[in-house]
Amino acid sequence: MSELADVIAELNEDEAKRLVREEIDAGVEPMSIVDECRQGMDIVGERYKKKEYFLSELIVSGEIFKEAMAVVEPLLKGGKEADPLSKMVLGTVKGDIHNIGKDIVGMLLTAAGFEVYDLGIDVEPSIFVDKLTETGAPILGMSGLLTPSFKSMKETVKAVEEAGLRDKVKIIIGGGIMTEQVREYVGADACTNDASEGVDICKKFAKEGK
Amino acid sequence: MIKESMTREGRIRAAVNLEVPDRVPIAPLIGQFALRHQGMPQSEGYRNPSRVIQVLMDTFDELGGYDAQVQADFIWPSSSWRISSAPTPMHVAGRGAPEDSPIQAAEREIMAVEDYDTIINRGWNGFLEEFLPRVTGRPLEKIDASQKRQLEIYMDDAKTWKEHGVPVLFGASTCSCTMILSLCRSLIQFTLDLHRIPDKVEAAMNAMVDDLIDNVKNDVKATGIPWVFFPLERGSGFYYPMKIFERFGFPYLKKMVDAFAAEGFMNMLHFDTDWTLNLPYLKDLPHGKCICELDSTTDIFKAKEILKGHMCIMGDVPASKLALGTPEDVTEYCEKLIDIVGKDGGFILSTGCECPIDAKFENVKAMVDTAKNHLPAH
Repeated sequence: MSELADVIAELNEDEAKRLVREEIDAGVEPMSIVDECRQGMDIVGERYKKKEYFLSELIVSGEIFKEAMAVVEPLLKGGKEADPLSKMVLGTVKGDIHNIGKDIVGMLLTAAGFEVYDLGIDVEPSIFVDKLTETGAPILGMSGLLTPSFKSMKETVKAVEEAGLRDKVKIIIGGGIMTEQVREYVGADACTNDASEGVDICKKFAKEGK
Repeated sequence: MIKESMTREGRIRAAVNLEVPDRVPIAPLIGQFALRHQGMPQSEGYRNPSRVIQVLMDTFDELGGYDAQVQADFIWPSSSWRISSAPTPMHVAGRGAPEDSPIQAAEREIMAVEDYDTIINRGWNGFLEEFLPRVTGRPLEKIDASQKRQLEIYMDDAKTWKEHGVPVLFGASTCSCTMILSLCRSLIQFTLDLHRIPDKVEAAMNAMVDDLIDNVKNDVKATGIPWVFFPLERGSGFYYPMKIFERFGFPYLKKMVDAFAAEGFMNMLHFDTDWTLNLPYLKDLPHGKCICELDSTTDIFKAKEILKGHMCIMGDVPASKLALGTPEDVTEYCEKLIDIVGKDGGFILSTGCECPIDAKFENVKAMVDTAKNHLPAH
């Protein structure tokens, strides 16, 4: 494991910043720096699964990754990764303005290599469909914290079906009160109330789609 | 129907005193659901708060009655602008949000990192003095006058419930230091603060906790209802490791609970998110002076194992079950709660967090009826 990956895994923000700058100055290939950062994030994810780390460590490591990418990304060809793991559309559904869960999972998905199109909060079904059509993203993530979000999620799944995209798009729902009963009602492919698990499910979807 | 031998108040008192009541009491957190059920848009409840009580009472009657109304109406009573909570902007029906939409917090970073220094230097109330007008755009005198008007309505409504023989379990409220700072800074920024400037966060908590306690004492004095409602979400083991809870969470929660218990107040600890890992710490809170109220994400059965004989447990019919399930699903779950968590007393059956705005009436009725019909299995 590289030193950069190690300091990210240890959540050492200052050292991570210093090493990223040092590697850039030494002429290390930018994509290679991104890979090292991602290795550090993978270790954080593993520690979270082993319950050595908590959501707070996912948040801190995600912030460190974001800071590193702010420096490295402009140096990548075209200003972004050439080959993302997958495209993904994400948003909090109509009638719900909670953004925290969505923001955390969006940060983790980006760190895991997804190209995330975050549509924000209170998103109408048609806006989700338009973005899926425009980007060709094969994964849709919908977030919600309140029970009325269940209906909005169901309406969005219906809109995806009506647009003829359902067999091309895997749908995951997330939020504090999501259960299997809700997933069935909504007609989604997966549900979770754990951001890290959500990323794993999306990775699985991305692998199946390739 | 179980033959009843206690009053509503006696049944609730027995549960919080960890005794065995004639049957398990039922005290759902009913607010927005009642308005939706009675056909009153949520916006009307905020425009005319004095109309809410009748809607709550009608719903109470339609449900066949229950043992306590947790909050008398929609109002969070406070005797002045000195609030023990965060002035988080709210997305309120009729005020920018659709007429019949649920109230939601529009959380954003309303407090700058530099503001920690003001709290450290001036305490929470000293900080509020300049923070509240800055965040709300209203002078303190107007906020104060509005709080006093709301307090009058709340006290009238609490009196109405009392006249109907229904105890109200909410005389004041306070957030924990973690909850307030997290709401003011935003969850992500506050988490980064704990990582980057832990000593400063700790100093701010030390400087604010006594004001929070004093504010609550004043609010209870004003309402005359010695029940303190703690909305607790941020700070659980869902978010943070126990070393964070041990330094930034539990010491301040304990200081507040101890202070209120010494005054004879009952502490309703309203735990949202998963607090299962934190449960053992609650044994260090005073015996019989708290209610551990769970939202269905904490393991309530584990809570019973750990807190049995020490703290009353309340909850936790899941919101998804009330909104999407059937009366049979709800009855089955409530019977399980009564059998396991209700065994040997110290349990109040309730909704997990607030009853969802779109809960099915027949599901809520099934929950209420199960408490009246089912005794714990021996």
